[in-house]
Amino acid sequence: MVEYHRNPTTELATSSPLKTCIVGIGGAGGSVLDRITMDRAVDATLVTMHTDIRVLSHSMSPVKIQLGVELMRGIGAGGDPELGREAAMYSREQIRNAIQGHDTIFICVGLGGGTGSGAAPVVAEIAKSTGALVFLTATMPFSFEGKRRLTQAEDSLKQLQNRTDALILFENNRMGELSLPKDGIQKAFVQADQLIAQSLRAVSTIVTTPGLVKLGIDDLTSALSTSNGRCLFGFGEARGQNRGSEALKRALKSPLIDQGRLLHQTKTLLVHIAGGDSLTLVEVDSIMKQLGKNVPDQTHILFGVAVDPKLGESISVTLISSLGLTQLNTLAAAAPPSEMLPLKERAMPSMLSAVAAKPATQLKNVPAAEPMDMLFGNDQFSLPEPQAAVVEQPDMFEQESFASEPEPVVNAEEIPFEEEIFEEVAETEVAEQISHQIPEPEPEPVKPIVRPRIEDFIPNSTARSNTNLTAVVARAPTPTVEEEAPFAPPLNSVAAKKPLVSTQEEQIAFRFGGDEDRGRFKNTEPALAGGEDLDVPTWMRLKRKLKK
Amino acid sequence: MAKSTIYAGLEIGTSKICVVIGEAKRDGTIKILGVGTAPSRGVRKGEIIDFAKVQTCLNDALVRAEEPSDVMIRTVFLGVSGGHIESMNSRGAYRLPEDQSEITEDDVEEAKEIARNIPISQDNVFLHSVTRQYIVDGQEAVRNPIGREGRILEADYHIIHGLRGRVQNAVKCVREIPLEVEDVVFTAIAAAQVVLNRDAKAQGSLMIDIGGGTADYVLYEDGMIAASGCVPLGGDHITQDIAMALQIPHQRAEDVKVTEGSCLFDDIPPDEMLRIEDDNGFVLGEIERAFLNEVIYLRTREILEQVKVRCQEHIGRLAAGVYLTGGTSLMKGIDVVAQDVFERKVTRAGSAPVSGVTATFENPQFSAPIGLIRYAQILDQEKPFMSPLKRLGRKMADLLSVIIL
Repeated sequence: MVEYHRNPTTELATSSPLKTCIVGIGGAGGSVLDRITMDRAVDATLVTMHTDIRVLSHSMSPVKIQLGVELMRGIGAGGDPELGREAAMYSREQIRNAIQGHDTIFICVGLGGGTGSGAAPVVAEIAKSTGALVFLTATMPFSFEGKRRLTQAEDSLKQLQNRTDALILFENNRMGELSLPKDGIQKAFVQADQLIAQSLRAVSTIVTTPGLVKLGIDDLTSALSTSNGRCLFGFGEARGQNRGSEALKRALKSPLIDQGRLLHQTKTLLVHIAGGDSLTLVEVDSIMKQLGKNVPDQTHILFGVAVDPKLGESISVTLISSLGLTQLNTLAAAAPPSEMLPLKERAMPSMLSAVAAKPATQLKNVPAAEPMDMLFGNDQFSLPEPQAAVVEQPDMFEQESFASEPEPVVNAEEIPFEEEIFEEVAETEVAEQISHQIPEPEPEPVKPIVRPRIEDFIPNSTARSNTNLTAVVARAPTPTVEEEAPFAPPLNSVAAKKPLVSTQEEQIAFRFGGDEDRGRFKNTEPALAGGEDLDVPTWMRLKRKLKK
Repeated sequence: MAKSTIYAGLEIGTSKICVVIGEAKRDGTIKILGVGTAPSRGVRKGEIIDFAKVQTCLNDALVRAEEPSDVMIRTVFLGVSGGHIESMNSRGAYRLPEDQSEITEDDVEEAKEIARNIPISQDNVFLHSVTRQYIVDGQEAVRNPIGREGRILEADYHIIHGLRGRVQNAVKCVREIPLEVEDVVFTAIAAAQVVLNRDAKAQGSLMIDIGGGTADYVLYEDGMIAASGCVPLGGDHITQDIAMALQIPHQRAEDVKVTEGSCLFDDIPPDEMLRIEDDNGFVLGEIERAFLNEVIYLRTREILEQVKVRCQEHIGRLAAGVYLTGGTSLMKGIDVVAQDVFERKVTRAGSAPVSGVTATFENPQFSAPIGLIRYAQILDQEKPFMSPLKRLGRKMADLLSVIIL
């Protein structure tokens, strides 16, 4: 059953532009922020914080905060989170002033070092106390950086998990897969930064830009609702022929989603499709159909479409979801491989047809400004069913209101941010959170009570220089190119071979020769070299070059 | 093992599927017992795209090889190729424990392990990791370091890897015949075993096996493999170029290429015409021979240049020059073009040191499958290459065959 969930009230509320703030802390956070600044992609206040004055002076963001001026004297924290924390404490007024008055605050941080790991929890605490929605984008250190840094990162993460509304966690180890082994290290880092910047951009645009079928903060929070979860994020953009499925393919290729394999376990999935004026209903339909094959029936799909003239000829697909740590853990450790297979192979007629039928009706519905709560029943979709909405709605409010509720307490007490109290507050917060969450109609009541422990989770990742995400995969039968046949690309498509043939390169290739010029090789993987498709006859290419 | 061993090499090529059965004798020679070929369908650029068609062709080839040799084949060495195959050199250093100065087998294993621990994409699988040399305390070119005194042992490896899915598909395709795959070998490595002799390897040589769909190359330097890889271009591309240039069917283009084709067009008078006939002997039209040859020349040159680009840094050290083999190396004038591209001595070669069914081993088309047998033989000689498990498996198989007999 795919449930359609709209909230008309928030739609009205968000008509005034949401103010977004992006904070980068430490070296890694700073470089992501630089990337965002350069791309000018997000309409947000950008704030960089660092203890090291030299690094900070190279930063490109408009607002810079030097943490702990008198304590650190412009020198970095030297990998000691305690120092980072202290430094942030010293500058907390400055931080508060900078980030106050925003509706959403994104915090970008690379965990494991001193400044990032130490200061981020403090900044998150302050951010929450301003009543904003706090998102955290964090990178975990490479496994080769050593156990110590990993422990620091874990500690910091544990503190952060209680202070943020959603956590988008990137594993550096996994980020390595973004680039080909041959690529330069610089490229690898740039690509990692890009992915993080992309995720920030995507989340903020989803929340702020108006759309045909709009998604709001409520949808986002429910997609990321597992309070201790890790975010699965995928973003793909494509143009040209077959752009819809290309974009989806790229979104699924995101290392965080792991070829869509991790989507099998999600309960809620947010899908946002954006395109220029040329976006057609058929494209949206086919994207959703293909995606449907990657998610189980029970998944709650939150779907949004936006037309953004800026995108021109391209289509972008954004997937956001979250997996609880417990889910990840148990799946990685215990679940037999067979558990995942049926999901993959199960036909999903009801959902497919529902999804297929959906966009048409929605578009019809939009002008009529009907309440958008929809419920897709078996094969046909019924009219808004008030019950479901009622169940869901208060829930949303509860969550949102309580997101800011405990903060004043922290504020009023004006604690001198001592470690113990810090922890204590965190604990009570969690307790409250849990008690709030229990009445929720959760299909798995066990989950919120048993608090996932990072300790359980991390050793997997360190022991074998692989993340536990890989463990999930390793358990699943190896290359599933054939198994996922209906969705998987043909045997020899570009996707399998070159995960990162840049769009540019591909496009050059297409420009050089359409399929008709490739003769009997038209269905094979193009042999690209120097921007040329070598399958096109040499004489033909030569002739074209001479013509130019 | 006192008795000689019979091996079968299988190459699923773009233009033909070839099974070679050979007897590897104790003295290192090979006797070819049977060769079976069948035109290949369902393969593009060295990669299988149509299982069913390939299997039909493979059965044909298998029967043709088994009949004259009177051998029933159960296991084969499978040659694989394709644009997805890549290679790299990696060196792993291992420092011996403080209380030990003599290098033992375990230390070598450790160094190997480190060398092999390279970041290849998760979808890839190691095909070969060939020991190039060991370095003991900075002293290069040590063949066997076990028993030597040293502090630091380094293992130099040449690692060839390819996409797991595609390699497994090829294996799967063969298993369904059913045939057991004993080992998967990159065809260029196999071909080099029979095309290049020890001297050529020592002096430095580049072997290019230009087949139907791919041009696989291996480059040796100081007797060590220095580079290898695959350019997904081959004779099929030449044919396609002709077909598209002359607007004739593919099969006709193939015939024209084989009977009339040449890479040389400079000396051909511009008015020399070539008649193109269809299957019934009707004249379809006339074309200028120079034009045909230019089309072939452009593509041939491009294939060679693509190889050159990929091993640019080693080209200067090829004293023994370039060896061309594979079906496309039969093209007239290809040596001249290669000479022009590489500026090195160019030799067209088939496989040399074999005996048996005549007419096959001289033909460069069969370099790779014959090479597979040679490879199997080498593998057998260099026992340390075999994992204990495999050795056990071999022993069991031997035992079983004795019992059955």
